[in-house]
Amino acid sequence: MISGIFHSTYEQDMALRHTHAQKIRLALMLLFLVVFPFFANRYALTLANQIGIAVIGAIGLNILVGYTGQISLGQGGFMAIGAYTAGILTARMGMPWWASTLIACFVTAGVGALFGIPSLRLKGLYLAIATLAAQEIILWVVTHWKVVTGGVDALVVPNPELFGLRLNNDFNFYWLVWGLAILVTLATVNLFRTHFGRAFTAIRDQDIAASVMGVDLFKYKLLAFAISSFWVGLAGALTAHYRSIVTWERFTIDVSVLYLAMIIIGGLGKVTGSYLGAIFMTLLPAVLSNLGRALKGTFPIVETIVPFIQQAVFGLVIILFLVFEPEGLNRIWKNIKDYFRLWPFSY
Amino acid sequence: MSRIRTLLAVLVAASLLLTACGAGAGSAAPIKVGAIFDLTGATADVSTPYSEGVKDFVAWKNANGGIAGRQIELVSADYAYKVDQAEQLYTQYVQEGVVAFMGWGTGDTEALRTKIAEDKIPFMSASYSAGLLDMTAAPYNFLVGTSYSDQAVIAVRWAMDDYKAKGGADQFKVALIHHDSPFGQSPVADAKAYTETNGGAFMDLAMPKGATDYVAELAQMKTFGAQYVIIQNVSSPAAVLLKDAKSQGFGAQFICLNWCADENLVKLAGDAAEGVMGALPFAPPSVPVAGQTDPEAFLKAKGSSLTEKGLHYTQGWWTMAVMAAGIEAAIKAGKEPTGENIRAGLESLQNFSTGDITAPIGFSATSHRGNSMLRLYKVSGGVWTQVSDSISAGQ
Repeated sequence: MISGIFHSTYEQDMALRHTHAQKIRLALMLLFLVVFPFFANRYALTLANQIGIAVIGAIGLNILVGYTGQISLGQGGFMAIGAYTAGILTARMGMPWWASTLIACFVTAGVGALFGIPSLRLKGLYLAIATLAAQEIILWVVTHWKVVTGGVDALVVPNPELFGLRLNNDFNFYWLVWGLAILVTLATVNLFRTHFGRAFTAIRDQDIAASVMGVDLFKYKLLAFAISSFWVGLAGALTAHYRSIVTWERFTIDVSVLYLAMIIIGGLGKVTGSYLGAIFMTLLPAVLSNLGRALKGTFPIVETIVPFIQQAVFGLVIILFLVFEPEGLNRIWKNIKDYFRLWPFSY
Repeated sequence: MSRIRTLLAVLVAASLLLTACGAGAGSAAPIKVGAIFDLTGATADVSTPYSEGVKDFVAWKNANGGIAGRQIELVSADYAYKVDQAEQLYTQYVQEGVVAFMGWGTGDTEALRTKIAEDKIPFMSASYSAGLLDMTAAPYNFLVGTSYSDQAVIAVRWAMDDYKAKGGADQFKVALIHHDSPFGQSPVADAKAYTETNGGAFMDLAMPKGATDYVAELAQMKTFGAQYVIIQNVSSPAAVLLKDAKSQGFGAQFICLNWCADENLVKLAGDAAEGVMGALPFAPPSVPVAGQTDPEAFLKAKGSSLTEKGLHYTQGWWTMAVMAAGIEAAIKAGKEPTGENIRAGLESLQNFSTGDITAPIGFSATSHRGNSMLRLYKVSGGVWTQVSDSISAGQ
C-alpha cells in the first residue's frame, strides 16, 4: 500500500500515469490488444472491430455529453454524414480511403457545429429535441438527395488498400481501428488538459459562472460540437470502409440511443467510461444470444423468450445503472482499484 | 481496465464454447443453415409467422428423412432489424460453418450482400428488391418471390386491361404510393417506365413516417386524376390509407403489392378493404392449393392451422423449401454441400414446383429471379379470392 503520490519534477506532475500500478495495468492492456488478434477467430475479431468503432464514437459523444453537458440525440445522423461522405468520395470520386476519411471528419465537424447552433439558446431537454431534429433531417437528406447519395440505394465502397494490402478484412482492420482508437484516446485525454477542455467542463458544471469568468459560451459550445462530431465522423467513415456497404438503415435513432446508453452506463465525463460502455453494450446482445443458445437444450422455453429478454435487458441495465450507480461502470472499476490500493484500510 | 477486458473475453469465449457443445452431433454430418428473423423489431408482426414457417419446414423435413438422409441444423436468432446485430450474427454463424443463410429484410440483405459473395454463402430473404437480381452486384442472392418491380408491372398491366375493358376514354393514370424507404421505392422506376411506354401517366408518392392519416396524399392523387392506385407498403399504413379513401369517397381502384396483401389488411381495414386487388406471389390460406397440404398437416398436429398463422407462414415454409431443394440438388450431383455447390444446385433448379403456392421456381447461372409470374387476388367478403391465373411480367 502506498502512502501517497509524490512528485519532484514538473514532468512527473504532468504525466498521464503516476503510480506503478497504473503503468503496469496500461502495459498489460496494450499487450492484450497486441496479442489478441493472433488468437481470435473471425467472430471475435468482428466484435473487436465493432467495439473499436464504438469506442471512437462513444469518446466523441462523451466529449459533448459527458464533458460539456450538451445532450445530443444526433449521433446516428452524424455517423451517417461521416459514412456517406467517406463513401461518396471514395466510390464516386476515386479518392484514397485515408483522404476521404479525413475530409469526412472535417465535414461532420462542420455539420455538427451547424446543428450545435441551437445550444446557444437551448439546454437540457430542449437541446435534446433540437439534436433529434438534426438526426431526422440528416437521414431525410441522405435518403432523398439522390444526386449525391444515391438516395435509398446502398452505396458500395471499394475496399481500402494500403500499399496493396487489403485493409478491410477483419484481421488487418483491427490494427487500423485500434490504432486510431488509441490516437483518439490520447488526443481526448490531452484535450482536457488544455484550456479548451477546462472551458468545456466549466460549461458543464455551471455555465453562468463560466460565462462570468470569461468563457465565451457560444464559441466553446460550438467547438465542443465540432470536436465531438469530428470523432463521430471518423467512426462513421470507418464503418463505411469496414462494411463496404453504406445504407441509411445503419444510422437510425436506435444508434443514437445506443451510444447514449453506452456513455451513461460506462461513465459520463471519463474516457475510460467510453471504453467500458462501448465494450459492454456491444458485447451484451452477443453474450445474451449465446447464453440463450446454450440454455436452449435444458430450458426449451428460453428460445422463444430470448429476443424479448434482450430488449428488456437493454432497458433494465440502463435503469439499474442510473439508480444504483449513476457514475456507471467507470465508478465500479474505480471502486475495485481503490479497494486493492487501500487494502486493508478500505473504508 | 485489462481485468474487465479479460473477464469479458473469457465470458465470450465461454459462451462460444458452450454453443459449440450445444450443437449436438448427428450420425451423418448435419447441414448447417443460418437464419435471422425480426421478432421484436419494426417488422415483427410479419416476420414472426415467417420465422415459424422456416423453422417448421426444417422440423418437418428432418422428420421426413432430412435432405438425402442428412439432418438440417437451423441456427437462428432475432436481430430486431438492427443491421449491426445482423452482421454480428452472420459472422458468428459463418464461423460455425453454416453453408446457406436465410435473411429477412432489405436492411440486412443489402448490408450482407458483398460479404456473402466473399464468403460464398447462398442467401435467400423476404426482400424482393429487383436490385438483388444484378448478378455482378449480388451473385449469391436468390429471390423466391416475384420482385417488387415485376409485381408493380403486372399490377399496372392488369390495371390497363381493366381500364380498357371498362371503356375508359381518358388517359390511363396510375399512382404508386409507397413506404418512404428503399423497400418502398424499389418498384417505382420500372413501374413508371412501363406505364409511360404504354402511353399512361404515372405519379409516385411517399407515405411519410408516423403519419396518422393520408388525407393529403389522397388529395394529391385526386388532383392527378388517378384511376388506379398501387400500394407498396405493409398492412398497417395501407389499412389506414384504405379507410381514409373510403371516408373521403375516393373512387380509385386500389392494388396492393405483396407486403400489404395479407390477412392483416382485411382485419385492420374492415370493409374498406372490400374490392381491393392484391398482387400476391404466395397463395393465401383462403385459396386452397396443393402446396398447403404439408404445412396444414404439420400445424394441425400442433393444434394450429394455416388460417391462424397466415400467408407469411406459407411464405417462410416454401422459401426454406426452395433452399433445401438447392442443397438436395447439390448432394444428388455428388458434391459436398458447401456454399458454392449449393449455389450451383440452386442454379440447376428448373420448374421446381411449390405445389402452386407460387409459380414454378427456376434459377440459372445468369438469373437468380425465381419466377416473374404471380396471380391476382381480390378481397371478396373479407377473404382473398383468386381472380386470375398466373400473369407474367413479360421480362
